[in-house]
Amino acid sequence: MTYALPALVFVMVALATVQALRRAAWWRLGAAAPVAWGAGLLALPKRYLVDVHHVVARDPYASRMHAVVASGLLAATLLTTLAVLPPLGGSRAYWAAVALAFGVTAAGSVLVGARRYPKRPKRLSGGGFQILPFLLLAYAFGGLAAALLLALGVESAVALGLAVALAAAGGLGLAYEVRSGPMRHAVAGALHLVAHPRPKRFEGGRPDAALAPLDLDAPRLGVETPADLAWNRLLSFDACIQCGRCESACPAFAAGQPLNPKRLIQDLVAAATADERAYAGSPYPNARPVAAPAEPFFRIIGPDARIHPDTLWSCTTCRACVEECPMMIEHVDAIVSLRRHQTLELGAVGAKAAATLDNFRGAEEPGGRPLTARADFAAGLALPMIGEREVDVLLWLGEGAYDLRYGRTLRALVKLLHEAKVDVAILGAEERDTGDLARRLGDEATYQQLARANVATLAKHRFRRIVTSDPHALHALRNEYRAFGGDFEVVHHTAFLLELVEQGRLTPGALGGAGVTYHDPCYLGRYNGETEAPRKLLDRLGLDRVEMARHGRRSMCCGGGGGAPVSDIPGDARIPDIRMAQAAETGAGIVAVACPTCTAMLEGVTGRTAEVKDVAELLLAAVEAGR
Amino acid sequence: MKVAVLLSAGRHPVSGRGALPRLEAQAIRLAAALGSARGLHAGPDADVVAEALGRGLSQIDHVALAAGADPVPALAAVLRAAAPDVVLAGRRGQGGDDTGLVPYALARALGATVIPDVVAARPGSEPGVIEVEQALPKGAARRVVARLPVVLTVHPAAPEPSAFAFGQARRGRIERLDVAAPAEPAAAAIAVAEKSYRPRPKMMRGAPAGGSAADRLKAATGGGEAAQANVMVSPEPREAARAILAYLRQIGVLAPPPGAG
Amino acid sequence: MTRARRDPRAERAAAALPGAARARFDLFARCAGGRPRRDPRMEAAAQRVDGAARLRLDRAQTGRPAAAPAPSRAEPAAPPAPKTIVMAAPAFLVAVVPDLAAGRLSPHDRQLFGAARTLAGADGGVIALAGAEGAELGPAGADRTARLAGPEGYAPDARAAAIASTMAALNLRHVIFPETPDGGDLARRVAVLAGEPLFADVEMVSAAALMRPAQGRRVEQRAAPARLITLAADAVAPYAGAPREARDEPLEPSAAPASAILAAERIPADPARTPLALADFVVSAGNGVTDLETFRAVAAALGGTPGASRVLCDAGLMPREAQVGASGTVLSATCYLALGIAGAPQHLQGVAGCEHVVAVNTDLHAAMIERAGLAIVQDAQVVMPALIEELARERGAFA
Repeated sequence: MTYALPALVFVMVALATVQALRRAAWWRLGAAAPVAWGAGLLALPKRYLVDVHHVVARDPYASRMHAVVASGLLAATLLTTLAVLPPLGGSRAYWAAVALAFGVTAAGSVLVGARRYPKRPKRLSGGGFQILPFLLLAYAFGGLAAALLLALGVESAVALGLAVALAAAGGLGLAYEVRSGPMRHAVAGALHLVAHPRPKRFEGGRPDAALAPLDLDAPRLGVETPADLAWNRLLSFDACIQCGRCESACPAFAAGQPLNPKRLIQDLVAAATADERAYAGSPYPNARPVAAPAEPFFRIIGPDARIHPDTLWSCTTCRACVEECPMMIEHVDAIVSLRRHQTLELGAVGAKAAATLDNFRGAEEPGGRPLTARADFAAGLALPMIGEREVDVLLWLGEGAYDLRYGRTLRALVKLLHEAKVDVAILGAEERDTGDLARRLGDEATYQQLARANVATLAKHRFRRIVTSDPHALHALRNEYRAFGGDFEVVHHTAFLLELVEQGRLTPGALGGAGVTYHDPCYLGRYNGETEAPRKLLDRLGLDRVEMARHGRRSMCCGGGGGAPVSDIPGDARIPDIRMAQAAETGAGIVAVACPTCTAMLEGVTGRTAEVKDVAELLLAAVEAGR
Repeated sequence: MKVAVLLSAGRHPVSGRGALPRLEAQAIRLAAALGSARGLHAGPDADVVAEALGRGLSQIDHVALAAGADPVPALAAVLRAAAPDVVLAGRRGQGGDDTGLVPYALARALGATVIPDVVAARPGSEPGVIEVEQALPKGAARRVVARLPVVLTVHPAAPEPSAFAFGQARRGRIERLDVAAPAEPAAAAIAVAEKSYRPRPKMMRGAPAGGSAADRLKAATGGGEAAQANVMVSPEPREAARAILAYLRQIGVLAPPPGAG
Repeated sequence: MTRARRDPRAERAAAALPGAARARFDLFARCAGGRPRRDPRMEAAAQRVDGAARLRLDRAQTGRPAAAPAPSRAEPAAPPAPKTIVMAAPAFLVAVVPDLAAGRLSPHDRQLFGAARTLAGADGGVIALAGAEGAELGPAGADRTARLAGPEGYAPDARAAAIASTMAALNLRHVIFPETPDGGDLARRVAVLAGEPLFADVEMVSAAALMRPAQGRRVEQRAAPARLITLAADAVAPYAGAPREARDEPLEPSAAPASAILAAERIPADPARTPLALADFVVSAGNGVTDLETFRAVAAALGGTPGASRVLCDAGLMPREAQVGASGTVLSATCYLALGIAGAPQHLQGVAGCEHVVAVNTDLHAAMIERAGLAIVQDAQVVMPALIEELARERGAFA
């Protein structure tokens, strides 16, 4: 009878393997992708124990629950297999150890159950996930009872049989669930961590957020059906445990736009599976009607497919979902590759987005404004064009320079640079738009044209580094132009100004303790990991700085990224209104910003009580006060 | 219905770079509602009009012509051979003489009827007939039923052009046609002297005709008596309403009161 | 002192066109003819001081024929009695084809007469080719009028044929059309019918030369006046002289060509449905408007296209298509009536192209009040009913 429990475990493992192989057959329908298996396998423990844990631990209950139940389950199952070794099978001490492992599993299972019963938190999915605690409890308590019987030497075939039967009911259920149930996340998740499409994100340093360039000579551009997705992307979607952290972070979801990252990932899973179980989480808010065909590997986007185009265009590419995902799923990559197909192959973009893309192609600028007018904001300020001479700092003005409001910020920045006697110049009419917006709207062809032209222009001139106040331009120049041969040292203006202050080249006075809260731009905080410089700078201005509940890398988007303003998908509220309400909760009279898009979005909120000021404007006020 | 869309090498209004004129992109969209459409371009090269392939045309016929040559004889020869029912065109070119005569000259050569400023077109209720909607100034419209063949020029209020799709542009084909253009008696050209364009101030509407320069300046800046009357602080609602109506009539957007004219 | 000093007065006087009621000048005269050529021998001979033993020259003498002194502007012009100018036998005729939309001369139509008078000079006469009777044609500057007979309704080819035959019959030296949808269409039909080149979209007119933009406004073309001309809007001042007789010129009726147009039906404009970007007159509501029913009634009564600020569109009170501003529609309207709109920068960017702005707002310091040509500092909610009442009163007074 001592072999009953290990036999069960072997059957479980066999069943789980069969189920995993059945699932893997679907992954293999995806496109080929290069995967460094050896390095991935070696890195797995670190990726799991450090990177995944770092995210999971943001929810302490979930972290404890998962640690207990997962380690217990793994330990109990592995220990039990050892019972086939004759000396161990008869050892009561060994069975006591097995019982202890099952005991830990049982405790974890109770935690899992307590999380979902009596009331399930809104962000968690129901359906199959509601059965999971019972399977775990049955396996854990069945195993515990059997191991205890053996440990105590109680020789009752009936009792042992009942205990093993209970463990079998739970264990075989768990193993069966590996194909399409909750336990899929364990197998797919581990494999996903090994074969992750962005292995660089685990290497520390800056976040790996640059989009991969698209081969414009490929027979089909972008992703139309799941078969166009790389196999390890399909695998990554299976790692989803439907914890819903992404949906609670998603600004579009909060604004009632028809996007829910969790649902999106599950729709992608369902699009690549013949018999996926019905989704039981929160839906897309104000979901648009779609008529999804039953057949797998059909078109993904369309009113007659799984995902409505409005869902796709609601995304602000803020990466809040990616930041929150404990399974390291890359939602934004999926969204952009889907958009690429819509834009490049079908021309299926909204009218306003289409006009913007036309402007990019015709005038190399999203607003269709003359490139010569970019420096108009600086009328009366000495701002030389870059010439043959080598300069210290090339100031990249970006799209904000055309905006009347943002012109004030840039004037403040230029005044500060003059004050600190920085050797600065601009490109003038040679500065094209970086094409960031075109890329996020899926128009990779136009983006690549602009990127190559900009890289060529920058290569002609001599400068030590680029300073820009636009995090979107910063991200493009620093990270995304690398694929097009552009290797520049790019500094955000907040970091550069901090440097000047620390070197004593700028001496700010005190601004009299006004309350200020800093809103992190997504493309600076999450995309580039820079959250400290603007805060340090603000702290030197004699301001009373308070933090919003969501700040730093977990900040909330202003709603201005990813072409969301030009796609303009209606929802229940506006994202900037929500963000300004969060800022108002802090009671600060000033919302400090560091991005032209954030400035425009947050300033556009009507009835706001707080002032929206760029860090540069505040610093200039302090420097003038200090004179 | 066989449709030909005339394509011209235009220029982007801001950057001056080669671009497909917006009206012609709109023409492609109108053509799609009528039947199978082909593009037709006459000029030195077809690079600029290749953009049309990404906007819903799958094929463009290109007639090679020297720069500056009159495209009408060559286009007429091609269209006579192809005999489309509908020819769609923009209003006028953006890189040559820009007189807007080409559609009219082609219509004359083909014996077709010109219907200008079209915003919508659909096949008529009987064969050989087309029904089009013409935009008139200030939002009015005219529905016209005409016998084929017709040459339609497109109005800016026509539906927005389809978005450019790079993938489709990549797949589209440009076919080069060699046309021995018959020497047609072209309209005698006007001898012109050219120099670069200098924008000139426009005449001011509402400025007193024949008044002195000072009067015109006053009318333009709203100086003089107007400056005081321009801001009314807390007027009686009725007074405010009268001032608004009088102002609207002065600038001509509101019809005079009944009985006054 | 070797170079003769320029005398701007004399040059102006030389460029003056005789015969016009107001002083009119042909500033191309010098360009066309170039600078008067100097004859150094003659100048030297004239500068020679007689009687001296040695050759002596008096450099103050130019040796050129002295220009007639310009008429002094100081003379007060006697208030001219509006006397009809009669031109009995003009040497040639310049024709004007006004649109006469709704039977009235538009400002653009009147400018055609200004251009025609310039081209007609002192000897030529201006003839208006009109489809309908027009009492205003004489004061506008027509010496003659001719009725173009043609079929009723939309028959542009018949009209073009009638003009082409009139061109031949009256031996018209120039025919001027407005560069409008109708006039421009007609001009091009006449051009291909008559086989004449067309000088389109003219922006500057003098007796000696015309100027038009070409190549997408990158170059300007200058040429001697062509026979067929279309005139851009607001490029030439309307005729401002004394009224002319507008005598009826009988025309031989010409046979109308067969038309391929089977039916044409005019659909009147519905301002409520006109796209904002095309609308000529936009009535827009902002935060200060709470009663949107009244607002729609005001827009309808004034014949304006309804617009709105972003706030109202976000709140779902007005459709998204109605949003004015940088993130909505950028207008090209003649007039913008802003009711209860303070004028956020993004909103003002959408109004930048509007010629006139009327603002009604409670805040004297609102940006929209600053931008407005007529600013009413008052609650839009009380002004709106007053507007409706006032319009109703006007109608009532007429009935």
